[in-house]
Amino acid sequence: MFTSSPLRRRGSAIVAGLAVAGVALTGCSAQGGSDSAGTPMDWTLTDQTAAPSGDIDQITWASYSEPYSLDYAYAFDYADNQVLANVCESLLRLNPDYSLTPSLAESFANPTPTTWVYQIREGVKFHDGTALTAADAVASMSRHLDPEVGSSWYSVYQNVASIEQTGEREVTVTTTIPDSQFNLGMGGAAGVIESAATLAKLGADYGNSTGGVNCTGPMQFDSWKSGEKIELSRFADYWDPELAAQSEKFDFVFMADPTARTNALKSGEVDGTWLLPMDAAQSIKKAGTGDVLFGMNTAVSNLVVSNLAGPLGDVRVRKALLMAIDREGILQAMNSGVGEVTDVHSTRSVWNDADPAATEAAFTDIETYPFDVAAAQKLVEEAGATGAKLKLVTAPISQDFAIVSQATAAAAKSIGLDVTIDTVTPSAYTALFSDPSAREGVDLFYTIWYLSSPDPMEMYGVFRTDEFSNYGNWSDPDYDALVTEAVSTMDPIKRSALAAQAQQITNRELPWLPLAETPTAMFMGDRVTGLSPSISYLYYPWAATLGAR
Amino acid sequence: MTYARRIAAKLGALLLTLFLASLLVFFSRFLVPGDPVSFLLRGRKPSPEAVAAVTEQFGLDLPAWEQYVNWVFGIFRGDFGRSLQYRQDVATVIGDRLPVTLGLVVLAALMIAIVGISGGVIAALNRGKLADRAMLIFLTVLGAIPSFVGSIVLIAVFAVTLGWFPTFGSGTGFWDTIYHLFLPALALAIAFVVLIGKVTRSSMVEQIGREHVEVATSRGLTRGTVIRRHVFRNAVGPIVTVSGLLVAGLLVASTIVESAFGISGLGSLLVQSVDRLDFPVVQMIVLFVVAAFVVINAIVDLLEPLIDPRAAAGADAR
Repeated sequence: MFTSSPLRRRGSAIVAGLAVAGVALTGCSAQGGSDSAGTPMDWTLTDQTAAPSGDIDQITWASYSEPYSLDYAYAFDYADNQVLANVCESLLRLNPDYSLTPSLAESFANPTPTTWVYQIREGVKFHDGTALTAADAVASMSRHLDPEVGSSWYSVYQNVASIEQTGEREVTVTTTIPDSQFNLGMGGAAGVIESAATLAKLGADYGNSTGGVNCTGPMQFDSWKSGEKIELSRFADYWDPELAAQSEKFDFVFMADPTARTNALKSGEVDGTWLLPMDAAQSIKKAGTGDVLFGMNTAVSNLVVSNLAGPLGDVRVRKALLMAIDREGILQAMNSGVGEVTDVHSTRSVWNDADPAATEAAFTDIETYPFDVAAAQKLVEEAGATGAKLKLVTAPISQDFAIVSQATAAAAKSIGLDVTIDTVTPSAYTALFSDPSAREGVDLFYTIWYLSSPDPMEMYGVFRTDEFSNYGNWSDPDYDALVTEAVSTMDPIKRSALAAQAQQITNRELPWLPLAETPTAMFMGDRVTGLSPSISYLYYPWAATLGAR
Repeated sequence: MTYARRIAAKLGALLLTLFLASLLVFFSRFLVPGDPVSFLLRGRKPSPEAVAAVTEQFGLDLPAWEQYVNWVFGIFRGDFGRSLQYRQDVATVIGDRLPVTLGLVVLAALMIAIVGISGGVIAALNRGKLADRAMLIFLTVLGAIPSFVGSIVLIAVFAVTLGWFPTFGSGTGFWDTIYHLFLPALALAIAFVVLIGKVTRSSMVEQIGREHVEVATSRGLTRGTVIRRHVFRNAVGPIVTVSGLLVAGLLVASTIVESAFGISGLGSLLVQSVDRLDFPVVQMIVLFVVAAFVVINAIVDLLEPLIDPRAAAGADAR
């Protein structure tokens, strides 16, 4: 639900050095020109690509990594979800514009503040031909509460007291406190419904390369050649004609090495990929085998302030550091200028159901932190922090990690702070997110944080006192009360007014330093068309909509 | 010492080595920082019950020695444990990738043997002449190209620009597999060619200077027969010895090549598994590589007296 970067790029981390060398070399030999990472790139957001001219036999898609599992309880990463989104469906559907509409639940209601009632759709079939029932929904959802399963989506279910079948096609979820966020999570992997019989039959092998899955999506799981590819095919009995699959077969091939993936895209051997490496975007574009597309995202890249007992405990020092960082320059260097500098922790894309006035306030009635070294230096002096030492931890994961950490260290130096960069292995870096002892003595680390539900409160819930992901233990009782009230407010319009206040407070207090928001970058080959390059590809059956160009 | 006793002694040493290796491989995981449980829970907010349940499922709550005993006895029963990242039997995870790596190593070994041995022979037969020097320079230049550079250049030229070979994947079926593995095997082979080439050359040169070769030549045998029967046969010993070492080197180097070509062998699995703290997989791969190394060298040792009877005679004289 939350972070992206610590997990998503780990597969390629070890050969990161090789990747950079590879891009340079292949770039030269294949194009005869040079691709400088600093060259700005023309970019516009694409909502939707042209409709397909018809069906297509086969599509091959490159994934930056092999999924760990296709078990929805562990589908927490780009690799798993981009496959699962086409095979398994949730109670609700998270659309490319991040709106939530009914899916396996024909309708839902919130009759009391602590109950959510779902009507399970009739006439839906699992891939093995059996019919979807309310019992399947109860069995699927209950797994998140089972400690033996150890679901990655437990946080969505943390306030759930019971999940019961209350009618022939009705499932009622009771929560211990009013929880608006529970229902919002039902459009993602947390809301996936699997056949209860399949879960019982496969047991520990459910979702792995031998067991596979049996869901209701427009594509069905055929095979998983471990380490190499997952094969899907069109599900003929799919219930929703609007999203019937346009391709007969759809293969995901795993290419952990970014250079290998880049080469496959350039040679036209694969039809597309999500998470296009930005350092290769220019040369891929030039190869002319398809389109580099940018779409809606919900992610903000941040410097996480993980120690408020140190010099960054003073909000003036946090503000100063943010003002000393040339964020435009960073964006240029790490993303060819694609994206926008931001001063807040959410993107407009998750404010869909909000009151427009609240959204406006949340994004304009805020403090801005323009690049101003002199003003920043003064703030540091006022705080008496001149000469203070800070430790930033980074890992050799991708180009942006190096660029952000170098730029931050340089910025700090320019205002009289002394930042030491500590480069650790990707897995040690990931531990920063889960293990408080790994964060000891660490003041800052970089992350890209995306939201998987269409509500900014998914982000602002994190900054409450004692939240698992409140890495710096930032604490403000008034803020906690505000957020708790917002989470318990079921009306999206009223909730958004509270969310706007939460955004303004974190904008002022900077528990994390927001750097930029960057669009989803992807490549779509010239054989295919018909999708929306939105981050909803993690939950929406995007592959089904791709057909012949 | 008879040949049978020699085999028995070799087997004993082999088993002891494997036992020591298994201890080292297993217990080294406790020296690595990082907690497999936090990996299993993927860095998300876990409930204490979930942590306890996951710890128990993977036997991580047992004392280290008990985990070791379970692991070793599991291996004898064909149960290699369960991969933390794939939630799948380690045997399946490794079994799916083993054929790819073996195919890659065998293909590379063939290329090394063909280019290296023929290069070495050509150089030896033209000792001191232009062909000798040219061959030595050629092999040395090849040997100086690291596998990852070789991979990048080969992909750029033959796969992306010319489009003669696929840029990724390991193929299905015999010929398709060879087609897919040809470039990766070549990238793997070039770094090792110089070793076999130089050993072949010096071993041949040494034999050419031997008395029995001069005798054979003076008896009027043709040059071809002399070289085949008296020079090359006697020169094979050192080449076989080096080849044994080389196979282990190939297994290790395949890691880089597999990543660059996007093929799913043991090497790329190892890299991934180390990074993801997937100890059961790492341990089995490392143990497999160690076992392969030890077994191949034992076989080479046992083959030597069969190829070169003098080695056996020498052993008996000791």
